[in-house]
Amino acid sequence: MIVNGNNRHSDALLEMESVSVNFPVKRAYPFSKRQWIQAVTDVSLRVSMGETFGIVGESGCGKSTLANAMIGMIRPTSGTVRFQGDDLFSLNRQAFKAARRNMQMVFQDPFSSLNPRFTVYDIIREPLYIRGGVSESDMKGKVLELLNLVGLDEEDLQRYPSDFSGGQRQRIGIARAIILNPSFLVCDEPVSGLDVSVHAQILNLLMEIQQSLNLTYVFISHNLAVVKNICQHMHVMYLGKTMEAGAADSVFSNPLHPYTKALLSAILDIDVSRPRERVLLKGDTPSPIDPPSGCRFWQRCPFAMEGCKTIPAELVNVEPDHHVACHLISGFSSEQKAAGFAQPLSPQHGE
Amino acid sequence: MTDTVLEVRNLKVAFPCPGGVIRAVEGIDLTTKKGECVALVGESGCGKSVTAFSIMKLLRTPPSVSRIDKLQLDGQDLSHLTERDMERIRGKEMAMIFQDAMTALNPVMTVGKQIDEVYRRHGKLGKREARRQTVRALELVGVPEAKSRAKSFPHELSGGMRQRVLIALAFACMPKLIIADEPTTSLDVTIQAQVLDVLKVMQQEHDVSALLITHDLSVVANMADTVYVMYSGKIVERAPMRELFTAPQHPYSLGLLASVPKLSDEKQSFVQIPDTVPHPMHKPSGCYFHPRCSSSSDRCERHMPRLEVGANDRQIRCWHPLHQERET
Amino acid sequence: MSKPNVIFQIVRRGGSLFSLIKKLWQHPKGRVGLILVSLLVLTAVLAPVLAPYDPYDVTQRAAKGLRPSLQHPLGTSITTGQDILSMLIYGSRVSLMIGVSTGIAIAFLGALMGVMAGYIGGFADSLIMRVVDVLLVIPTLPLIIVLTNLLGRSYFVIILVFVAFGWTGLARVIRSMVLVLKNSNYVKAAELAGASRWYIMTKHILPGTSHLIIMNTTLTCAGIMVAEAGLSFLGLGDPTAISWGKMLAEAQGGGALLFGAWWWILAPGAGIFLAVFSFMRIGIVMEEVFNPRMKASSGIYKLFKHLNNRYLDEVFRSMDDEGDPVTSEGSDTPPPPLSGGGHD
Repeated sequence: MIVNGNNRHSDALLEMESVSVNFPVKRAYPFSKRQWIQAVTDVSLRVSMGETFGIVGESGCGKSTLANAMIGMIRPTSGTVRFQGDDLFSLNRQAFKAARRNMQMVFQDPFSSLNPRFTVYDIIREPLYIRGGVSESDMKGKVLELLNLVGLDEEDLQRYPSDFSGGQRQRIGIARAIILNPSFLVCDEPVSGLDVSVHAQILNLLMEIQQSLNLTYVFISHNLAVVKNICQHMHVMYLGKTMEAGAADSVFSNPLHPYTKALLSAILDIDVSRPRERVLLKGDTPSPIDPPSGCRFWQRCPFAMEGCKTIPAELVNVEPDHHVACHLISGFSSEQKAAGFAQPLSPQHGE
Repeated sequence: MTDTVLEVRNLKVAFPCPGGVIRAVEGIDLTTKKGECVALVGESGCGKSVTAFSIMKLLRTPPSVSRIDKLQLDGQDLSHLTERDMERIRGKEMAMIFQDAMTALNPVMTVGKQIDEVYRRHGKLGKREARRQTVRALELVGVPEAKSRAKSFPHELSGGMRQRVLIALAFACMPKLIIADEPTTSLDVTIQAQVLDVLKVMQQEHDVSALLITHDLSVVANMADTVYVMYSGKIVERAPMRELFTAPQHPYSLGLLASVPKLSDEKQSFVQIPDTVPHPMHKPSGCYFHPRCSSSSDRCERHMPRLEVGANDRQIRCWHPLHQERET
Repeated sequence: MSKPNVIFQIVRRGGSLFSLIKKLWQHPKGRVGLILVSLLVLTAVLAPVLAPYDPYDVTQRAAKGLRPSLQHPLGTSITTGQDILSMLIYGSRVSLMIGVSTGIAIAFLGALMGVMAGYIGGFADSLIMRVVDVLLVIPTLPLIIVLTNLLGRSYFVIILVFVAFGWTGLARVIRSMVLVLKNSNYVKAAELAGASRWYIMTKHILPGTSHLIIMNTTLTCAGIMVAEAGLSFLGLGDPTAISWGKMLAEAQGGGALLFGAWWWILAPGAGIFLAVFSFMRIGIVMEEVFNPRMKASSGIYKLFKHLNNRYLDEVFRSMDDEGDPVTSEGSDTPPPPLSGGGHD
């Protein structure tokens, strides 16, 4: 199952094929049943060179785990991650390190992502220093160049992270992420910890850097408005599974999955003039430990049918570059219909 | 609908520090009417939470120093009340909904028991009757299987459920004023929508006035009737919600509104306000916003504008307000 | 690029140690502790010079049980006529030697075990933590009695036992700190850049725990000094050495209470108290220095004691809208926040 399969270019920078990541849950008693958190289940995606790829979902949907699997911080339980055509986890140590230097990350929390004991200079040059082979004066030059690029002053070099506001810290983090000239940058909710008026500054900075350095972004966010603005392709995830995927334009102009619709209507827009119809979801996200069988979303889905409880929904292609995993779209076979699978569930089912 | 519930006149709070004085709140006037939801919007460090804590009189005198001309709740003067009297008022006449429900709830007591206590203390109800009220309150805020959920401990509930419990707890004593400090910030978007709906319905049904403290303009758009925009310790604009969102007069309000990404936006770069909020110890001269303002002049650099009262109950603190261009 | 960097690192470490001492010195409580500890060290080092008599000299029959006088500032013992002041001075050597050496050994072992458990994790973690659990439930005192009987009563054995049982607390603290640091995003960023485990351990993890190690060591030193005195008092110490605990025991056995020889009891008691007090002082102040929240709150309280009301009025007045805009311009040179004395 290859998502975006019909426009398979050779310019894919990163490909994930049926990647699943499970974590063991610490057992309460020595002989109790071993439980697994199914953080990511069977996700496939391809990120093309130079694009911005959005991953959208609520907390606990596995988007951060997926990002960590992309950059090789977590080894998937099954599936393959290919970066520039090489299977990341079958590379030898040296090649793995080299590949990873090509991918960097911008973190969500600008407060815990900078070592409070390091000066700004130490923080930004650290990746170069670790890689080695660069003279001190070259490092200094490179750091100054980046400092300019992200909009900080030279006199900030000898100061410590605690002297800076959240937005400025995020700029330092971005400078550190691009000092090794990576081709691939994972932005894990880069603005959600910042003030409203700083959001736009950081997003614009990221976009400028992408333009000038020709970077490929994976942009993780829960803010659909941001994703709509900057992403070319996107995945909507729920409880570790892809619900809807494809070109951002087609997903936003024609959202098909009930979860995508709910997310879109749940966005509290500040557009007061626009009348809104709201699809409110019932209940909370279930725990990723032993997630519901069948479609992961059925307990909260306002349109759930009998069959959704037992039969997992597969991703199907609905239009060019637009995939949905929902029984409402793919439908049931005639035998399944005969078994009553297409019956809508009673309205109280989610509680 | 016209009687005033909360009236704050000239609230000032400062935090003396070894390096100088942090001017957190610089002379704020606030009024909420009965049944009205008033939002206090601003970025972190603008003094909005300090304002909320001062109204509850929860600020201790080290570390803060405050002055206030008038603090009235429903005609009752609170500014001279002792800590003991305030304890009675908090929870009975005004209640607070915090951002972090986990720290606001007692972790070793079932949530039902915590709400029971409010009913028993303020409503003078018996044990049975209190529990019946608790279950009803939990049902009202949309907690499923309220009867059994009342027996669970805070850590057994999800974030959204805990926030609902907090709302039930706040409304339990029929307060005159609810102060909600970032009530949904830590929640997921879909849960956020649910909780806000509950809060709105409860507030309107009980005809209680609410003071909503938030940095999230989308929350304001969904909840508030009147909005105060705060910047660096001062109110820069006050307007009815719809008017603020359609025709902001202060450049800062406009910048805030524009910098929020909207689904209806075309693909483009994001509108940004340059620079950052000034440090509360080293504020710029004149209008605090002038270094970030696109229409600043010499006058802005030198003199702080006054808060002028305009038409339609609007207030604006700016030398070059934007409404002239907007109205044409 | 390794060698100059290692040296640079050591210099910087040293610099941070110096700045730590400076910070302690600036803190009034810390200054008391520092002065007392350095006095103690000086006394121990210069004991042969400072002591007026030979403390081991038990042949002064004529000088038995003398009250404090100019010749014997703290009197002499009833049984042997030893000079108490000299004994006190020499006793500081044992206390300090055992306290500091055990403290440092515990710091090394505890930090090593804690970092190993936290950073390597997995099997090493479970093994170390199980050992900690076992050691925590073994009663130390009976074990020391048994071991000193088996291996002979020497301070070496005592230090060994103290170290073997004392590292568990520090190891647990360090482990949880390492777990926090290990999962921090800056360590992740370093890993992404290809940093080795050694690099992360020495650059990010160890510096992040150093303040815990230093603080713990001073507090352990104080604890060990008390424990040593207790052991010597019970007669488990080295029988040939002079220690404060043993002085107490001798005073007790020699009937100091019975004959009213209060100086014999008071002197070693005061010695123990002062030594422990000074180390505790430093440890507590370090906690304040390292924990910014504690430091801030204590600083604020001090500030409020000296708050200048006229200055505050000025500040509040300048917040007014009606306030003459000239004053807000002139506020570049505000009056000092603290009253400079009584001249206000």
